[in-house]
Order: sequence, then C-alpha cells, then structure tokens
Amino acid sequence: MANSVEENRRRFIKSAIGTASALVLAKMAPAWAYPLGRSYGDVIYAQNVVDLHIRREDMNVAGRIARPITINGSMPGPLIRLKEGQRAKLHVSNALDESTSIHWHGIILPENMDGVPGVSFPGIKAGESYHYEYDVQQSGTYWYHSHSGLQEQLGHFGPLVIDPADGDIGADREHVIILSDWTFEDPDEVFRNLKVAEGYYNYQQRTLGDTFDDIRRQGLAKTWQERSMWNEMRMSARDLLDVTGSTYTYLMNGRDNSTNWTALYKPGEKIRLRIINGSAMSFFDFRIPGLEMTVVSADGQPIKPVTVDEFRIGVAETYDVIVTPKNDRPYTLFAESMDRSGYVRGTLATELGQEVPVPELRPVPERGMAAMGMSHEMGGMDMITTNEDQLGMDDHQEMSGGHGGHKAATQQRPSAPDLGIEHAPGGHGPGAAMIARNPVSRLNEPGIGLENVDHRVLVYGDLIGAHPWPDDREPERDIELHLTGNMEKYMWSFDGVKYTEVNGPVEFHHGERLRLIMVNDTMMDHPIHLHGMWMELENGQYPRPRKHTISLKPSEVVSLQISADAPGSWAFHCHLLYHMKAGMFRVVRVR
Amino acid sequence: MNKLTTMTMLGFLGMSTTVSADHAEDHWPEPIESYRTGQVLFDRLEFTRTDNNENLIVWDMLAWYGGDTNRVYFKSEGENKQNDGEPTELESTEVLASRLIAPFWEIQGGVGLRGSMASDTDREHYLVFSLFGMAPYRFEMDNSLTINEDGDIAASLEAEYDIRLSQVSYLQPRLEVSAGLTDAQAFDRPSGFNDVRIGLRYRYEISREFAPYIGVYWSRALGQKANQIADEGGDKIETGFVAGVRMWF
Repeated sequence: MANSVEENRRRFIKSAIGTASALVLAKMAPAWAYPLGRSYGDVIYAQNVVDLHIRREDMNVAGRIARPITINGSMPGPLIRLKEGQRAKLHVSNALDESTSIHWHGIILPENMDGVPGVSFPGIKAGESYHYEYDVQQSGTYWYHSHSGLQEQLGHFGPLVIDPADGDIGADREHVIILSDWTFEDPDEVFRNLKVAEGYYNYQQRTLGDTFDDIRRQGLAKTWQERSMWNEMRMSARDLLDVTGSTYTYLMNGRDNSTNWTALYKPGEKIRLRIINGSAMSFFDFRIPGLEMTVVSADGQPIKPVTVDEFRIGVAETYDVIVTPKNDRPYTLFAESMDRSGYVRGTLATELGQEVPVPELRPVPERGMAAMGMSHEMGGMDMITTNEDQLGMDDHQEMSGGHGGHKAATQQRPSAPDLGIEHAPGGHGPGAAMIARNPVSRLNEPGIGLENVDHRVLVYGDLIGAHPWPDDREPERDIELHLTGNMEKYMWSFDGVKYTEVNGPVEFHHGERLRLIMVNDTMMDHPIHLHGMWMELENGQYPRPRKHTISLKPSEVVSLQISADAPGSWAFHCHLLYHMKAGMFRVVRVR
Repeated sequence: MNKLTTMTMLGFLGMSTTVSADHAEDHWPEPIESYRTGQVLFDRLEFTRTDNNENLIVWDMLAWYGGDTNRVYFKSEGENKQNDGEPTELESTEVLASRLIAPFWEIQGGVGLRGSMASDTDREHYLVFSLFGMAPYRFEMDNSLTINEDGDIAASLEAEYDIRLSQVSYLQPRLEVSAGLTDAQAFDRPSGFNDVRIGLRYRYEISREFAPYIGVYWSRALGQKANQIADEGGDKIETGFVAGVRMWF
C-alpha cells in the first residue's frame, strides 16, 4: 500500500480531473451523500412532514443515460433522518404510470404503515399519494424501498437513519454508505432471462479446463467423485449469485467506481460508517484495507463492539462500524460482490480527489460439500449415502478452498438433528431440486470465499446484543420453514410451495413467544426478512442479537426467537428481489 | 379436433390460478402474482452437406408458454432437400400439454403430424407422450412414444450434452435413436430399432440468445430397416457436415 511521493503527485493531478467530472455527476447522484458527512452535533431532523415524490426520469448512472425511478429527483432516494420518540410523517406521491409503495425496512410500526401492497395496504396508484404516520420507537441505520413489482431494481430505495433519543451517535462524524446493483436492462427482462435460461448471467462457470486442472492437482478418482456429485445433482458449484457483474454496475451512494464517492475525515476522529446493502440481488464483502472496523450495530440494533477487518453484508442487512484512521492518508472503501464478478469502491480521505490503489478481485470461490449438507437426496432419488466417514471433514475443508486453520474448521457446530428437522415425506415436490439431509448450523462460518482469508471476518456467531430485550420468555412453540428452490426452472419457495399456491398465511398467536426454525434446502444464500417484528438469533450468545434480515447459507439451519407482539398481517420473504418475485414469499398473520 | 385441443390446453393452463389469501381486503392486489412466460428455441437450424453431396436445410425447434408447472409446447423437426423439387419433409410437428412432475422432468402429451408436406398418402397423424427434461449428469433429453391412426407405435430418444470449453463455447455430443414397437411398413418403420444418429457440434455464443455452430454427424439404419435398404441397394450409413445456429427469443 505504500506509495512514493512521485506516484502521489501524479495521482493528485489525475484525481483533480476526476473531481471536476465528479462535480458534474454530483448533480445527478444524491446530494445527501456529500463528502463531509455529518459531524456530531449537526441536527437535521425531519420534524415536519417529509414529502417524497416518486417518478421515472432520465438520469446519469455510471456515465450513461439511464431511466431509473427517482425519489425527489435522486437515485438512491434522499436520506431520511428521524429521531427516536418523534412521530414520523411521510407523504409519498406517485408520479409513475403504475402503482408504487414504500416499505420502511426494519421499522416497528402499525400494520397499515408497513407499505406492502396486498398485505398492509392497497398500494399507491398512479397519480395518487399515501400518508404514512407512525411513532418512531427505535434508533439506528435502516432503509426504505418499494415493495411493488421489481421497482427496487430501478433504484426505488434510500437510507433511513434514526438518531437515538439522546442524540449521541457515538462518533465524531458519520457517513451513510448505501450499496446497490444497477442494470441497464429492463428488470422484467432480467427475470425472464433467469426463468428461461439457467445461468444466463453466470460467466464464471466451471469449464473442461478446470476439470483437467483438478485431475492434475488431485488425481482422477477424486475429481471424478466430486464432479459426479455435482453433475448427478444437476447443479453448479459456481452458482453463487444469480445476477452478476455481467449486467450489474455496482454503486456506492449512487456512484460508480470511476466517480469514486469520497467520504472526508480528520485524522484522529472517530467515524461511524452506516453501511446498508440496498441491492436487489448482490451480497457484498466490505473492507477498508489498512483500517480495522469495530462493528457496533447490526440491522440497526446495537451490539457489543467487535473488531474485524472484513464483513459480508447480505441483501437488506445494515451494519454500523466505527473506524479511527490515525494517519493522514486515504483508504479505499471496498465492496466486492460475493461471486467476485465485480466491486464498487469509494475513498475515505482527508481531501477530495485522493485515492489509493484498489485491491484486485479475489478468485471465484466454489461451493464444497458443506453446501450439500454433506449428504443429500434429490428429485425423489436417493443419492449415494455420503456420510462423514466417506467424505470426511478433510474433503470438506479442501473443497471449500484448502486447509487454512480457520476457526470455522475448529469451532463446534451445533447439530441440526437436535432441533428435530423433518422434511415433508417424499421431499418438497418439483419446486425443490435438493433437500439438505443433514443441515447444520453454520453461524460461525464466514461464508463462501472468506473461509481462508488471513484476517478477521465477522461471523453471525460474533454478534452479541448490547443489552437484553424486554421479552425474555422461553419460546412456547416451534414453527419450521424450509427454503426451497429449483434453479433450472428458477422456482423459489418455502416448503416447496410458491406464494401463489399457498393456502393461507403462517399463523402467529398474538402475545406468544415462538421459535422460528429455518432450513436452507437450496444451494444458494438467502437473506430472509420478517416485517413488523424482530427476530432474535439463537447464536449461543446472550443477549441474543436482533435481526430484521437473516442470511442462510446452503444447507444451514438457524433458529430465531420472536415475540408475536404486532397484530396484523406481515410480509415474510427472501430479500433477493427475483426470488421474492418467483414466489419465495409468505404472509405471517398475528392474531 | 383442433378446437378441442385448444380448449383442453386452455383449461390445463388455467389450473394454476391464484389461491386468494384471506389476509387482505378484496380489492387489494396480490403481493406476488403468478408468472407466465414463453420461449421460442431453435436448438438446431442448420445447413447440412451429406456424403452423397446432397444439401439439406434442417430444423429442430420448440416453443413453449406457461408457468412453472403447466406449459403448452409446440415442437417441430424436419428437413428440406435443396434443389430436388421435393416438398419439405416433416419429421414431427407436435402440440403438447406439459406438466412438471419432478424437479427436472416434464411429462407431456399431445397430437402430432409427420410426413411429406405435399402428399396425403404418407402423412400421418398421431398421439404423442414425452418425457422431457434433464437427466443426471445434465443430459438434456426428449423421449417420446407415438401412436398413429393405424395403431402403429414408435419410440424415439434424443439426448444432448454440453461440455463447456469456455464461458461462451461448448462441445455438444448428440444422440438420436428411433425404434418401431409395431411393424409400420407403410411409413418405413419396421419393428425393432430403425435408426441411430450421433452428432458432435462446436458452438460459440455471440450472446446467450444467438450461438452459431459447426459440426459433423454419423447415422446408420438398423435392424430390418437396414436390411431393406441393403436389398434396395441403398446406403445404410450416412455422414455429413453441418453449419447452423442455436438461437432463442
């Protein structure tokens, strides 16, 4: 990372030119993401009604003319800043030629304010408006987005930050960073491509050359065994994200890499970065080379500080980190897509126009046996009974990227059978191409591609709530749901049943404490979001961390405690936009 | 017959209507709507040069419309020999209703037509049942059983496999086998195995939707059919070069 003075000088001239063009673009990208961020003590609260105007308009995105949905003229939409204890008044008017909506992601509010057409209200018709009003009972980093069709992919989202009642943000300065994935294609066309042509956007598949390399490296027998497992399942070990950098331009606060969104700081300051994954389909790995980050909040809720060098952020999740850069130098804010098909970067700098060399994308990782839950069955046909004796832990470790002595290998993993996981007899039907025969907890694994990095990576197991939550009863009842899918037909569902085929909502009894057990019977990671109520993750820590969105790895089982304290109907779904559209959606009714 | 077929198809598609949930008010939209789409796929659209120096245009296409579970298919395969003054030869043209019965398999049933486009005498109407989908190891398969108006039963198997050479290029072996379960001399299908055809194509995707290819094939008549050809002094074996395009929209 060390740069010579000469290099810096040349770079300064280059970036001065960059700054000039950045100013032109700044007219287009959201004004709230201005480089100074916000110093502690600045008060910008929305005391009165916040007016939000939704329209479709031409805008410069990543240097090209695009036609996103804008909110008050910007994409992403404006930063809405509220204060705990106030009454939020948000007036949304729709200038689109179709219905729209805004869902306040992670906010505890009455059911008719939640903004899901068909669940909490009828939606906002073209030319009409809707007045949202609710008491703000929480603080932290959240976001808002359309819950209508595929509008979110067109940029219909923005950050929502709520200051605590005492106004203390716990830092000298703060910056909001919202990550997103932009495509110049029509989102409906993207969905159709996924439906009719499996792997349409995946240009990182295994080739014959990879197989030859494997044979050279590990011999024919082992390669044959591995390949035949994947091929018998008719699945791809490189199927990490459905929509990739082949069509996406990744954005940070609406800016692409060449624009280099810059956040300013003064050396020695404590800076709070509020990182929001506002993507439609992209998990990101976020790091600031040369700077450690202390995670202080997950999904808007405070956690006990944990210091890491990198974290994975699932779609719709938020993390707040504190950084304290001591040296007077720029740092790259680096968000790499989970499948390594692209990245977006910005710079944390002391002056505008600074930048440092951007890290290279890391190699494309490949799913190993853990993704299959070690043993598996598919299509009603029993596979070779693989158990840990045959395909032991060594194989598993090696297939997920080599021996690294990583903590994932050594930490104990609670075994799912303790939870009594049961699959529907005969599997979950044609909508589920796979069943995790032996799902396990993977909360202490950093996730695919991060198993063997030589620095600290956040895992869910690290999250400890900052304080206990009011309802500490033991759950009276378990509800079990399986995440199911068929990549070839692009079918996604819970328990093998799409929303359009489902018979009525998932019933919660008002006032009860329940345990939600989810099993991921697919080969993909899924960020699952429950509206209206917190989910406390049973990760072995106490107090448990609270989440509004929980990401499940392939063949993983997680359990969550929920207080069913919010009467009404609430959406519950996978937050990968095209998975939700395909049917991975349920209504939870609390009554 | 055609009208009846259409109505059956529509009724079939209608099976996947949305179950209305009782959590919302009646005039509210559904949060997630059922989705239908379709595709027209020319798996092979090629120019063929046989070892007898004949030039042929060959097509093998399908089109479908529907949801995840229930679909309607149109499939057509045939060839036209260039400059022979003969009409186009339909190997098959079928309309089928399809249902997903397992994650990778659709079961299909419908009606078909095959034979020469010009003459009524060797044109054949038939019922068809297919098992269509992807076998383990990712073999794309279309296996059919047909029965014509005379009660003649025939079976065919088609399998394709894509070996990925790069992110946009593939080597595709292809196998086709046909057999008669009954003796249908009128249509040149004695009972037993009739033909086997093996092909190998190299395909390059200019886009996912448009991929030109070149290739070769080898085909051989089998069993009684081979004997008959030999008796008539014909060639049991045919080979050829192909150049074409795989495309969809």
